[in-house]
Amino acid sequence: MPVFNLCLKIIRKNWISISIYLAIFLVISVLLSTNSAPKETHNFSQEKAKLVFISKDHTPLTEGFRKELAKSATFVKIPDNTEKLQDALFFRQATYILRIPKGFTENVLNGGSMQLEKTIVPNSAENAYVDLSVNQYWRLAKLYAKHEPQLSEKQLADKLSANFSHNTPIEMKAQIRAKTDQGFSMYYFNFLAYTLSAVLILGISTVMIVFNKNDLRRRNFCSPVHASSINSQMILANLLFAAISWVILVGFCFIFDSKNIMTPNMIYFLLNSAVFTLCISCISYLIGNLLGNLRNMSAVCNVVTLGPCFISGVFVPQQFLGETILKIARFTPTYWYVQANDEISQLTRFTWTDLSPVFYNIAVLIGFSLAFLALSLVVGKRKRLTDR
Amino acid sequence: MIIQVKNLVKRYGDLVALDHLSFNVKEGEIVGLLGPNGSGKSTAIHCILSLLKYDKGDIEIFGKKMTPDAYDVKRDIGLVMQNVAVFDELTVYENINYFCGLYVRDRAERKRLVDEAIAFVELEAFKKFYPKKLSGGLLRRLNIACGIAHKPKLIILDEPTVAVDPQSRNKILEGIEHLNAQGATIVYTSHYMEEVEQICSRIVIIDKGRVIASGTKEELKAMITLGEKITVEVFTIEEDQLRVLREQPGIMSVDYVSKQLIIKSDKGNNNLEIVLEFLKANHIGFGRIYSELPTLNDVFLEITGKQLRD
Ligand SMILES: Nc1ncnc2c1ncn2[C@@H]1O[C@H](COP(=O)(O)OP(=O)(O)O)[C@@H](O)[C@H]1O
Ligand SMILES: [Mg+2]
Repeated sequence: MPVFNLCLKIIRKNWISISIYLAIFLVISVLLSTNSAPKETHNFSQEKAKLVFISKDHTPLTEGFRKELAKSATFVKIPDNTEKLQDALFFRQATYILRIPKGFTENVLNGGSMQLEKTIVPNSAENAYVDLSVNQYWRLAKLYAKHEPQLSEKQLADKLSANFSHNTPIEMKAQIRAKTDQGFSMYYFNFLAYTLSAVLILGISTVMIVFNKNDLRRRNFCSPVHASSINSQMILANLLFAAISWVILVGFCFIFDSKNIMTPNMIYFLLNSAVFTLCISCISYLIGNLLGNLRNMSAVCNVVTLGPCFISGVFVPQQFLGETILKIARFTPTYWYVQANDEISQLTRFTWTDLSPVFYNIAVLIGFSLAFLALSLVVGKRKRLTDR
Repeated sequence: MIIQVKNLVKRYGDLVALDHLSFNVKEGEIVGLLGPNGSGKSTAIHCILSLLKYDKGDIEIFGKKMTPDAYDVKRDIGLVMQNVAVFDELTVYENINYFCGLYVRDRAERKRLVDEAIAFVELEAFKKFYPKKLSGGLLRRLNIACGIAHKPKLIILDEPTVAVDPQSRNKILEGIEHLNAQGATIVYTSHYMEEVEQICSRIVIIDKGRVIASGTKEELKAMITLGEKITVEVFTIEEDQLRVLREQPGIMSVDYVSKQLIIKSDKGNNNLEIVLEFLKANHIGFGRIYSELPTLNDVFLEITGKQLRD
């Protein structure tokens, strides 16, 4: 297999620049993954808002409400003074200031609005629980008042507190998530989309640029080696290179996240990234074939394969990306790869139902690979005979 | 018949690079495709080998129609391209081994062939060198070795001596004659008429993508009216005298440039005598005298009205 051997020799000749790339990307991905991974996922439900509770309405219900809130928030005492309260928020002594206006209870029980005055530190997740509690408590109170109007406020308060005495479903859900500690792996494997793209493009385009030089291409095609054989030998060599890069990159994930090697999630991370590697090699090969004699081919490759990383949620989680961007991203394999990684990181059970979204995404990736491979074979065959 | 090209037409956009080009190559010949730069020699070679699409024409090699998939035909062809086509990532030995490997699978056999090719182009001392480290002449020799290592029956060399020092050039020409003596049929393109005259058994002259003449060099020279070119060192000569000289029998043209009197005469035997007698009779002093038989350049000049090399 002369062409196969030659491809490997060309890659080996360029191993220094390729390994510099590898090293840089490894460092970046480890740093990023370590920082992005949620550190204490199991403490998630214990994270409490620091709440300043100011009540101008003293009824059994507001008292019951205060007790209920104490479960999901830590109370802080700050004098009711605008300036002091603002300082408290600014210095994070408090994250949530809740003020119950006079006549609030009566208003709610009569079917009026449940609007409370609140001032919060923006973007603090723990406040969400306070909001939830507020909503739940008063909605339920409203409900009871409507259907059992004979109850006194005191009875109502007792009933409500009995109602909330067991764990809320929100907390349970949070615990399910907390159990899967796949943070590092997920970020690492997501970021792998970028690293793999960069390294594979560099390696594969290095080979393709050499082979697509007009004279060398002609020289190869005037030999009795079948065009399809030349193509498949090149593809094989590129795949071998891709596989080695994949092993190295995945190996580093094992080193940095050794406690997760044995989890079943890892198997699916590996499967997903292997399929993605295949896909990226096919794209690089196709581009190499299309733009072979372009000197700045690797620049074009970078745009074509790294662009999707930006819009598919490799750097910024998908939930923060706009709807339109994600719609466009669906046309790139990276989107499906990241989707699969997200799914995998949340897996706690491995039944067919749990796994099917993962397999669906991986199947899309395989589809992409086959399409790109078929295209490059067609292009490769056509390029044998040129007009110029 | 080794190669048969009939009415080959190739256009690059509006430019007609090959215009109904036809020629044959018989077994054992060294055929020279001679033509100035841009006359379409390389284009013709690429079309013949199915490396380039062409608009019209029939091409047969070894009696079989040549197509991109004619792998059996390709097996017996060796191509030396005009531009050096070797891999910078491979050494001299590895390059020859790679190209030979495209034709010969057996390792031992290949090793023998590669060593033979290296000896043939005398690159033994440079086996481990990378192409970047080779001078122009050595690089050309490597290019040739890559094309011929597998001992093809038909060898096509596209201007293998461009930009090569005279010593390397002579080695290359001798080598080609040697390959021919061993039984290979050779197609050799060049714009150097001296080379083509020296080694080719038959010459096809090409201009603007058309064959303008073909035959052995004797046949080609016999085709034209020019018989002899006489150059005389003359220090002064009058315009009148020149005119009289032009009217002498057998004289085709007379030019006087930088103290050189250049006289072209048709095919006669005593042209030189006529000129000398005229000079003596008119008391014109003269120095050295040369007489040359026509070259392929003269053939080209007479047919196309321009020089082979601009
Ligand atoms: N790739 C190309 N695109 C357009 N024109 C070309 C191309 N290659 C060659 N030509 C033109 O075709 C003509 C023949 O070129 P070529 O076959 O290289 O001549 P030669 O080998 O005899 O020097 C020239 O006029 C050249 O400019
Ligand atoms: Mg040429």
